[in-house]
Amino acid sequence: MTDSRPTSQPGETILEVHDLHVYYYTSRGPAKAVNGVSFSLRPGETLGLVGESGSGKSTIALSLLRMIKPPGRIEQGQILLGGRDLLSLPEEAMRLVRLGEIAMVAQGAMNSLNPVMRIRDQIVDSWKDHKTGYDRTETEDRVADLLRWVGLRPEVARMYPHELSGGMKQRAVIAIAISLRPKVIIADEPTSALDVVVQRQIMTTLRRVQADLGAAVILIGHDMGLMAQSVDRLGVMYAGEIAELSPVRDLFKDPLHPYSKLLIASLPSIDHKGSLRGIPGLPPSLLTPLPGCPFHPRCPDAMSRCRVEMPLLELKRANRAVACHLYKDGEAARRQGGKGDKGNGDRSSSPPSRLAASPPESAP
Amino acid sequence: MATPVVQSESQTERGWLSRGFHALRDYPMLAAGLVLILAIVAMSVIGPLFVERDWVNVGYAMPDQKPSREYLLGTDTVGRQLLAIIIYGTPLTLKIGLIAGGIGLSVGMLFGLVSGYYGGIWDHVLRGAADAFLTIPGLLVLVVIATTLQGGISVTTQALVVSALAWMYPTRTIRSQVLSIRERSYVQLARFSGMNGFEIIVKEILPNLLPYLAASFVGAVSAGILASIGLEALGLGPQNEPTLGMTIYWSMYYTSILRNLWWWWAPPIVVIVIIFTGLFLISAGLDQVANPRLRNRI
Amino acid sequence: MTVLLEAHHVSKVYGSGLFKRETNLALDDFSMRIETEPASITAVVGESGSGKTTLARVLLGETGPTSGEIRFLGKDLTTLSRQERKAFRRDVQVIFQDPYEVYNPFYRVDHVLETPILKFGLATSKAQARDLMVEVLSAVGLRPEETLGRYPHQLSGGQRQRIMVARALLVRPRLIIADEPVSMVDASLRATILDSLRTLTREFGVSLIYITHDLITAYQISDNIVVLYRGSVAEAGAAEPIVQAPEHPYTQLLIGSIPQPDPDRMWSPEQEPSTIGRSATRISGCKFASRCPHAMEMCLEQHPPLYQTEPNRVAACYLYRDAPVLSVAPLDSVFVSPETTEAAAD
Repeated sequence: MTDSRPTSQPGETILEVHDLHVYYYTSRGPAKAVNGVSFSLRPGETLGLVGESGSGKSTIALSLLRMIKPPGRIEQGQILLGGRDLLSLPEEAMRLVRLGEIAMVAQGAMNSLNPVMRIRDQIVDSWKDHKTGYDRTETEDRVADLLRWVGLRPEVARMYPHELSGGMKQRAVIAIAISLRPKVIIADEPTSALDVVVQRQIMTTLRRVQADLGAAVILIGHDMGLMAQSVDRLGVMYAGEIAELSPVRDLFKDPLHPYSKLLIASLPSIDHKGSLRGIPGLPPSLLTPLPGCPFHPRCPDAMSRCRVEMPLLELKRANRAVACHLYKDGEAARRQGGKGDKGNGDRSSSPPSRLAASPPESAP
Repeated sequence: MATPVVQSESQTERGWLSRGFHALRDYPMLAAGLVLILAIVAMSVIGPLFVERDWVNVGYAMPDQKPSREYLLGTDTVGRQLLAIIIYGTPLTLKIGLIAGGIGLSVGMLFGLVSGYYGGIWDHVLRGAADAFLTIPGLLVLVVIATTLQGGISVTTQALVVSALAWMYPTRTIRSQVLSIRERSYVQLARFSGMNGFEIIVKEILPNLLPYLAASFVGAVSAGILASIGLEALGLGPQNEPTLGMTIYWSMYYTSILRNLWWWWAPPIVVIVIIFTGLFLISAGLDQVANPRLRNRI
Repeated sequence: MTVLLEAHHVSKVYGSGLFKRETNLALDDFSMRIETEPASITAVVGESGSGKTTLARVLLGETGPTSGEIRFLGKDLTTLSRQERKAFRRDVQVIFQDPYEVYNPFYRVDHVLETPILKFGLATSKAQARDLMVEVLSAVGLRPEETLGRYPHQLSGGQRQRIMVARALLVRPRLIIADEPVSMVDASLRATILDSLRTLTREFGVSLIYITHDLITAYQISDNIVVLYRGSVAEAGAAEPIVQAPEHPYTQLLIGSIPQPDPDRMWSPEQEPSTIGRSATRISGCKFASRCPHAMEMCLEQHPPLYQTEPNRVAACYLYRDAPVLSVAPLDSVFVSPETTEAAAD
């Protein structure tokens, strides 16, 4: 069932995820935190993954760095970084990939700075597994450059974390993340503990260093407003699956998936006082997932088909992939929807033979 | 690492005893410790059905006998049977431990709860007292007390003597737990619900202290037994009772080691080791209960 | 016009010690009154370090002010008798930020509802108590059969917070102080919970002080807003004009930094502090001067008073020094009453 052929020409995407499944094994059975996620990432672009708690977004971040620990396990799937499958690499090779090619700025990272080490030492310490070959002077210069790059004064190198403000700590964390010029940066709720003013400054800095590096960024979070301001394409996650994946403007102007519609409608506006509408119902159970579409109990447009058949993430309109039975199949529908998000709408490159081989109507 | 939000089904209403048994599977150390202690207790309860009380006394058997079918654990120099001594003496030692544990926990709870919750002058006085007593060399004090009370002290008196120094650690442990729980939001909410200090202590704080109370109790029991054995081995215990410590004392008094009467000094030591191992495992198991991160399974 | 709860020139300083430790003026000469009626919603908006949490604690009587008084029905909180204190607990309730910490893990969630019923004598029998619990749970949109009898870890954050609102409804206080009630709850449930809080005010006549960092939700449900910056009021007044046409440079910065969920409305360009502003010290003058693009000489000398720029708003900024000063009167004298906002809204 897993399609291992890359879905785009080499050189076009820097990262591809195919049919990722990550389960957490509890005494009551497996909780399916990530239940069949596929997407691709082009160099230089910013992809957002937005979802509420339990949607699986943080689990994806950890999976990309192969940092899922028991009782969690990557059940199946492929993670292709520049063509190499990260899930089949030996651990020593993976260590070089972490920070060297993929770096993470994690949630609350500012609180995971070692309180008894100076900032400079923490940066240098993160290079331990990577042979940088810097001598003493080169190291100091490199550290100073990094700090300046993220907008910190070089004197910060000699300071301890408790001497820095929240925003400065987060900048230090970003400095560590970009220190070896990674190709992909994963930012998991990088500003959740910061106030809006500092948040904006940090996001501006992040965008700047991203452009300098030519790196791609995966921004994970729950703040739709922040996504709107920061990403090129946005994936809406629900119950461990991607419900919709579209260029950000299209998503906000014309959301397709009922969950996206309700989510956007529930955002309070600053323009006028209105009614406050939430999404009725309860969050989905990851332990005992219902058959069919995970959103159907709360969906205003649910049909009988939704209760039995799981909709797949498929390209339904130009550049827009959505996992919902409401939409008729687009011309280039395929099983695992990673293809559906090419920005230039290059539908002609998708071989139609896929349709004949695996009719999208059949249940997985 | 974020674990996913799981929507649990409502818990089936089993009795708490059955739930307790099933829960023990998750804590092997606790289970092992309980087994050891229960074995000792069983021995003390069932043993007297097979062994006469008189065999503990002087002159009821041939002296210095090696273990044989007639005397399963042999006899000592004054004709006491070791099997009887172990069976009738162990519960005495346990009793001392329980009394010391009980007093240590009760006083520790009272002082710790009051000092931790109300703070202020109460904290200064009670915690200060605990800290002061902690610096006193315990064995020294006990030796002085025991020597002063010379002449046939009973097991109960021995227990009370030992308890005098059993309350300080429980006080400190419980106090620090109360300090941390006191700041929790649910305690603040209880205040807004109209509860007064006493009700908050009993209804909100105490239930969350149960693992710590159990651990303090076990700790006090261990300390009590250890102190009493220490005193007895020096000859300062209840001289006429066959407690484990006194047996060791007598065995040394009659130079059993030189005379190779291993069946005299070995059995009490084995029983003591089993008791302490059991208590240690229970304590480590309770640690796992209180601190989920120490658990090995999910 | 009875005043239910009043902050009278309240200041709170943390950290004065034997040795010269850094003292922190968390709240600086704050005065505001909440009347018994009409029931209104007042938002106190600020970032971390603004003093909003301190204000909550002081109003709830959890900590005493360093100077000034908190008065309940005219009497200083610290002088209340036991009976009066119980009445205070009855009339002024709280909703905490963390829906996880606020439940005692030893008990089922029923416990948080049963305790006030018991202590405040809200029911005379077990059956009556049960009916009451069912009633308030249904009123906030929860299904009693799915919530009662469960342990806290079996419910989601949103459900737990809604039970807290139900609990507040149960006690029927006259004022609820909600400290960041939805910041730890998922976005899709936030609107529901805020809506139920608004219902509490409109239908049950319970006033609300909504403390938050989120200016948008503050705007959505409040009649009046108070913007705090480092312990002082930057701006206060009717919610609509403050958000649509902010006067204080800090409020402007705040609103400009809020990420709009509309990719075509990007963050407004960031303004650099003025040259004078950059030389500001922290000792004297306006607290915002070092970040303010409009800082002038006078801003460095003394902290500006509250200028009443319109009947329903004040701003502590020398840009408005031509307006009259709101000298002794408490903040609420510029507040609009809820009837006016009712007509304007929806």
